[in-house]
Amino acid sequence: MIGLLVRRVILGAVTIACIYTLTFVMVILLPGNPFQQGERNMAPEVEQALRARYHMDDNWLYFQEFLTGAIRLDFGPTFTYSDWTCNQILASALPVSMLIGLLAILIAVMVGVPLGVWSAVKRNGWLDNLGLGFVLMVVSLPTFVTGTLLLIVAAVQLHLAPIGGWGTLAHLPLPALTLSLPFTAYIMRLTRASMIETLSADYIRTAVAKGASRRTIVWKHALKPAFLPVLSYLGPATAQAMTGSFVVEKVFGVPGLGQHFVNAALNLDAGLIMSTVLVFSTFLVVLNTLIDTLYAWIDPRIGRAV
Amino acid sequence: MIRSLFVICPTLLIAVLTLYGVGEGEPRADFRYVNPSEIHTLDPVRMSWTQDFRVALNIWEGLTVWHPRTTEPIGGAAEFPPHVSADGLTYTFAIREDARWSNGDSVTAEDFVRGWRRAMEPGTAADYAFLFTDHIAGAEDYVTFRRQAVSTSMSPDELDQHAAMLDSRFGDVGIDAINDRVLVIRLNNPCPYFLDLTAFPAFLPCHQSIELLRERYGNLPTNSRALVVYDTQWTKPDYHRNGYPGLITNGAYRLADWKFKRRARLEVNPFFREADTIACRTIDMVVYDNISAALMAYEAGDVDFLPAMNVPYDHELARLSRTGERPDFHICVVLATYFLNFNCTMPVVGGRPNPFTERAVRRAFSLVVDKDRIVNLVLGRGDRAAYSFVPPDAIPGYDPPTGLANDTDAARSMLAEAGYPSGKDFPTVGILHTQTDERVCQVLARMWEETLGVRVELRSKETKTFAEDKADHRFLIARGNWYGDYSDPTTFLDCLASGNGNNDSGYANPEYDALLAEAAAATDPADRFALLRRAEAIILNDVPILPILHYAEPIAIKPYVKGLYPNARLWFPFRYVRIER
Repeated sequence: MIGLLVRRVILGAVTIACIYTLTFVMVILLPGNPFQQGERNMAPEVEQALRARYHMDDNWLYFQEFLTGAIRLDFGPTFTYSDWTCNQILASALPVSMLIGLLAILIAVMVGVPLGVWSAVKRNGWLDNLGLGFVLMVVSLPTFVTGTLLLIVAAVQLHLAPIGGWGTLAHLPLPALTLSLPFTAYIMRLTRASMIETLSADYIRTAVAKGASRRTIVWKHALKPAFLPVLSYLGPATAQAMTGSFVVEKVFGVPGLGQHFVNAALNLDAGLIMSTVLVFSTFLVVLNTLIDTLYAWIDPRIGRAV
Repeated sequence: MIRSLFVICPTLLIAVLTLYGVGEGEPRADFRYVNPSEIHTLDPVRMSWTQDFRVALNIWEGLTVWHPRTTEPIGGAAEFPPHVSADGLTYTFAIREDARWSNGDSVTAEDFVRGWRRAMEPGTAADYAFLFTDHIAGAEDYVTFRRQAVSTSMSPDELDQHAAMLDSRFGDVGIDAINDRVLVIRLNNPCPYFLDLTAFPAFLPCHQSIELLRERYGNLPTNSRALVVYDTQWTKPDYHRNGYPGLITNGAYRLADWKFKRRARLEVNPFFREADTIACRTIDMVVYDNISAALMAYEAGDVDFLPAMNVPYDHELARLSRTGERPDFHICVVLATYFLNFNCTMPVVGGRPNPFTERAVRRAFSLVVDKDRIVNLVLGRGDRAAYSFVPPDAIPGYDPPTGLANDTDAARSMLAEAGYPSGKDFPTVGILHTQTDERVCQVLARMWEETLGVRVELRSKETKTFAEDKADHRFLIARGNWYGDYSDPTTFLDCLASGNGNNDSGYANPEYDALLAEAAAATDPADRFALLRRAEAIILNDVPILPILHYAEPIAIKPYVKGLYPNARLWFPFRYVRIER
C-alpha cells in the first residue's frame, strides 16, 4: 500500500504541474485588459506600467513568479478586487465552500446509501419506484430551480431559514441540502446497481444457504463490496462539492469559491483563475489519492495488484 | 467499516458545525442595505463603480459634498462657499477647524494635496486622472511627465534623478497647501462645476499614514520602478503592516469591519463634527450577488434599502411603483445615457468596408430606431427614450437640443442616396454588445433588417473582451453607456472630443472641438451652455453615436426609513437616515 501511495503522490504532482501549465497558457491567450475597471478606457502608458509591475509583460517571468509564489502558498494579487490578495479571497471562500460541500456529501452518503440499499433489496417494489422517481426528479431539475424552490418555501413562506447570505448556522442547511441533491441521487443509483449485482453473487447465496439473517447478509456481507463504486465516486464528488458550486452560491448568496471560478475567468483575473484552478486540482488529486488508498484498504486485492 | 463511517460522519458533522458556530451573535446594524456585488475597491482614486462611491462618500468627506436630495454641492470638510477669484480661476478653500480624521487628527490642506496627487499617479491606475488634467493648472504636464517616466525603462541613477524632480515638478501643479487650513487651487479655465467635482471620490483627502505603505523601488520590478505605488491593503481597517494603523477616514462613518463577499460594517466616526446628531450609529452593507434573493430579503425585512433592482422582472417592479401599489419602490432617473457607437474612423473593419464613416448612413440607421417602442414595450422599466446625449432636465439651466426622430421613409431614401438602395451591397452589420444588451440589440437588428433591408448579426462578448474591441474600434456598431460624473453637459460631451480616450466612435470634428474649447474658456454660464448646446446639436446631426435611452434605476426604500431620497446620482448619505417604525 505504501508503494501505491508513493506512486499516486508522484503522479498527482505531475498532474498538478500539467494543469498549471495548461491553465497558464490559456490565461495568457485570453484577449482583453485585466486592469480595466468598468468600461472607461485606460491610458496605454498606465496599462503598460501595470503589466510591467505584475510581470505580465514577460510571460516566462510571470510563469516562474506565479509558480514560485504558489509553492510558497502565496498566490499574489487579484485585479478585480484590488484591495484583496488571492490568498485572502481563498481564505475567505474556501472554508465556506468546504463546509457546505462536506455537509452536502455527508447528507448524500447518509441518505443515498441506505436508500440505494433499500431500493436494491425491495427491487421493483414501491420504495424502489419512489426512489427512481426521486432520482429522475433531482437529476432533471437543475440546482437553480431546486435552490430557488427551497428558498421560497423554507425561507420566505415558512421562515425556517434566513433568505440567503452568510454568517450564522441558520444560513447552512438550505445551500447544503440543495447541493447534496444531485450527489444523493447519483449515490443512490450507484449503490442500488452495485447492491443488485452483489446480492446475486455466489457467496451471498452461500450465506443464505447457511442460514444467515437477511440483515447480516445485506449490511455485513453485501454492502462492503457494493460500496466500492460509491467510494471511488466520492473522491471527485467531494472535491467538486467542497470547491464550491457557482449556482448554489449565486442562489443563496453564499460567499464560496465556486463563483470565483466563473467570475475570475470573466474578469480575466489571471492570479485568481490560476489559484482557484490549482486549489481545485489539488483537492481532486488529494481526495482521489485518499480514496484509492482507502479502496486498497477495503479491498486488499487492489493494493496487491499495484 | 461501513458502519463506522456512519458513526464518524455525524460526529464529524457535529464537530464542524460546533467549530463553525464559534463567534456568532453579532447584533444587527441600525440600518442594512444591499450591494449588488462586492466593493471593487475602497481606494477613492481607483474606484469607478456607483456602489463603491456610495461607501467611500460615507466614510470620507471631500472639500464639498452633494446635497442628499438635490445633489447640489454643499459644505464638506471645507467652509462653504470657498473664495473664488474674479476671473474664476483660483479657488481658496478654508478647511474647517473641526474637520477630523477617525483617529482624532485634524484634517489638513496637505491631506487633500496628498489625495489629489495620488489620483494623478499612473501607479494607482486612476480612471479619473482626466478630471485633474482637464481642469487644474499644470496637471496635464505633470501627468504627461509621469506617464512618460513609467513607460521608460530607467537605470538606478536615472530613477534617482527622476525621483528628485518629482516634488519640484508637482510644485508647478495648481494645488497648493498654503498652511494647514488653506488650500489654493488654480484652474486652467473657469469651471462653473468645480465645486461639484470636489465632492467626487477622486478628490477625497488621504491621511498621512498611507505613506507607511508606499512601496519602495526595491520591491518593484526593474521596468516599473518609476511607479508610485502603495500596498493595496491600505483600505483595510485591521491592516497593520509597517506600523500602519489601519484605514483612517474623515467622513461621518468609519469602516469598522470588512468581510469579503459578506458585508462591510460602518460605525459613526466619533470625531466627526456632527457625530452626536447621527441617528443610525451602525450601517451594514451586505453583498447579494443575486438581486432576486436580495429582493426577498427586503420583503422579509432583513434589509432596509435596495439601491438596485436589476432583475428580469424589473418592468413589473416599475409598474408597481408607477401605479402607487408599492410606494416604497422608486424610479430614479439617472444621469446616464445608453447609446450605440458608430465606427466613424476605420475605413475597413475585420476585412469588410465600413459604410458608417459616411454621415448619411449613420443618419439613416438612426432614423429607423423607434426608441419609444424599445423603452416602453421592450424594457418597460421607466427609462426615457433618448433624443439627446445629455439627459434632459438633469443639469439645471441646460436644455439639450433634440436629435433625429423616428422616420422610416426618410431613412430608406437616405440609405438609397448613400448608394445602398434597399440595403443592396450593404455589408453585414455586426453589433458588438455584452450579454445584458441582448434584448435591445435583437430589436434594433430587427428594425434595421425590416426597414433598410440590411443584414445584421449580433456579436455578444464578455465584458473585458467587449471593452477591448470597443476601445480598439474593432466594430461597426458597438453598444455604449455613459454615467455622468458631475453636473455639467461636458461630462457627456467631452467623450466625443477628438482624441478623447473614451471616444469609442473615433469621431473627429474640428468644429465640435472648437465649440467645446470656446465653452471651456467662456466666463458667462449662459453663453457657455449656449455653446455646449450648439456642440451637442452638431453630434446629434452627425450621429457618431445613436442615443437610445436615458437610464432609470428602480430602488426600494422601506417606509420606515426616513432621510433617504431617490436622486439622479444614486447618492445616499447615511448620516441623515432615521428609522421611524
